[in-house]
Amino acid sequence: MQNLVSVNLKKTTLLMIVLLSAQLLFAHSINYALENAPVKDVVWFYTKLGFTHIIPYGLDHILFVVGLCLLSTNIKTMLWQATAFTVAHSITLALSMKNIFVAPTPIVEPIIALSIVFVAVENILISKLKPWRIILVFMFGLVHGMGFASALNEIGLPNGKFFTSILSFNLGVELGQMTVIIAVFSLLIIPFKNKTWYRTRIVYGLSSCIALIAAYWVVERVFMTA
Amino acid sequence: MKKNILYITLLILFVTTAGFIVIKYRHNERIKATKVYTMLPRKGLLAKTDEWINTQKSVTLLQKKIAVNPSDSKSIIALANYFILEARATGNYPYYDMAAMKLINDVLNIDANNFEALTLKSLIYLSQHHFADGLAAAQKARDIIPFNAFVHGILVDGNVEMGNYDSAVACAQIMMNIRPDLRSYARTSYLREIYGDYPGAIEAMKLAVGAGAPGDEATEWTRIQLGHLYENTGDLKSAEMNYQIALKERPGYMYGYAGMARLAMGAKDYKKAIDYYQQAAKDANPNAFKEEQATVYFLAGQKDKAAELTKNVMDELIKNAQGANADATIGHYADKELAYAYLSTGNLNKALEHALLEYNRRPLNIEVNETVAWMYYQKGEVAKALPYLVAALKTNSKNPTLLCRAGLIYEKSGDVTKAKKYLQDGLQNNPNIDEPLKISASQALKS
Repeated sequence: MQNLVSVNLKKTTLLMIVLLSAQLLFAHSINYALENAPVKDVVWFYTKLGFTHIIPYGLDHILFVVGLCLLSTNIKTMLWQATAFTVAHSITLALSMKNIFVAPTPIVEPIIALSIVFVAVENILISKLKPWRIILVFMFGLVHGMGFASALNEIGLPNGKFFTSILSFNLGVELGQMTVIIAVFSLLIIPFKNKTWYRTRIVYGLSSCIALIAAYWVVERVFMTA
Repeated sequence: MKKNILYITLLILFVTTAGFIVIKYRHNERIKATKVYTMLPRKGLLAKTDEWINTQKSVTLLQKKIAVNPSDSKSIIALANYFILEARATGNYPYYDMAAMKLINDVLNIDANNFEALTLKSLIYLSQHHFADGLAAAQKARDIIPFNAFVHGILVDGNVEMGNYDSAVACAQIMMNIRPDLRSYARTSYLREIYGDYPGAIEAMKLAVGAGAPGDEATEWTRIQLGHLYENTGDLKSAEMNYQIALKERPGYMYGYAGMARLAMGAKDYKKAIDYYQQAAKDANPNAFKEEQATVYFLAGQKDKAAELTKNVMDELIKNAQGANADATIGHYADKELAYAYLSTGNLNKALEHALLEYNRRPLNIEVNETVAWMYYQKGEVAKALPYLVAALKTNSKNPTLLCRAGLIYEKSGDVTKAKKYLQDGLQNNPNIDEPLKISASQALKS
């Protein structure tokens, strides 16, 4: 156990180094079209953007959330993880868009894929929520938040409506995540959780598939992206 | 116990891979930072000009000076300038813009307020379609030296692209007051065209051509713009004359061939048009030519070749756009171009998506509004197209493509009076515009 904590600390330290070594690369781009738009239009635009960033465009985020769901059939377990993930990605999304730090995409994107591999493999190794899983999910959430920021930067934020647009985007992301969680629970977990084969077939099977896909993404994002 | 070992292995693998990703990134960044860009060999007639020989000599000399003194800002900026000129001469913007931007950033790292570096940086930003950034950099440069004609020229371009037309006119006036030359006349011409004054635009562009030395790239580029103005006003003989002169003064000039190709396309001589595009492609082949060439193939019934070329253009645009999204400091924003490319493949949803992406960046620009309106029209959502169309028409531009599109959109919306007016204006004098659009506009006017 002590070993685990020690390795965990090392990993946390490394991630912190990655985060803190992020450089000031660019100021967030500006969405001039929405500068004079009514607040409700801004809210609707960014909520929709956040949602579509998960469904249908964010397959990697979908697999990550599915991976979180597969750890346990207990809804509380899922809620703890989802909360940690949400808090974390909200922090880095806001910091990145405020240009306090912007992590380079060639680091963020492969680590997002790597986090999916980790969560999926971890599902095979453990079956109950451990405190370090929450910490890890929080750390991964920080990295995913930086990924959200680069997507949001493509569209830009309107001047003078920073918090409205960021909060709306986050709301959209949350709605997207909640949709995935509800889908996984209602289609997989609730109907099959009491089956004897649930863990071996569904958890192991799905987690293995997720891990393989994400491992491919790691390779693709490290070696095949210009 | 076994699971604990596996878990520890997983953690070690994770940490190692994450570390590898960071190290690889830093390694790549180091390579980028130390990369020395050189002039790439030219092709075809471009490689045989005296200008190319002189350019190579100058570049070699500058590189030697920089090697001796890496903080020689003057030489670094001069070299960056050569890269920028070479981008336009060869159409290889991705490579030379990157090369110039690296040098300029090197200078700005030494002196963040270096006027020349800021000016060139704004120029590259505009070339890469980072218009807001380009305008901001030019404004910063103007704050350092307020009465420099070149900076005001960039401010004109940046303001036009951002749709701040009043500011663009004000900057053009200052530019003209400081120095009436090829650059300021050309900007005046462009602004007159935007405000629908074609005779005035032609007059100013003629002055611009007259102010330059025949054969210089800038002069011949201006002559091509003059030819294009004649195309839009239906004076195809004058257009042809200007393209021919450009080709005579600057043999193999790709923009001259592209102009001739457009005229051949307008005359439905597709074989000749393809031949001209192929001649233009001998030296360089920017995406804009490939798109036009794909249209010729399509009109000539060679649909496979058209599709292949369109795919080629789209792949390149997407690659460049991804570069821009990954690193907002460089890389080509190409959403307007992508919108039209997707439109040509029939993918209307993607076409609209990209048009709106560009609109978010430049909601006041008339061409961007025209693009969004056109995409909504293509999707059959005319009510949504109308507000964008009104914005596109706000400067009273008489661009025949815009007017024909406006006529078609109004026709679909049931506003017969406006439809007739715009279609008549658009087709007046038989301008040389996209053939399918011209046919649709003519049919709508007859009906």
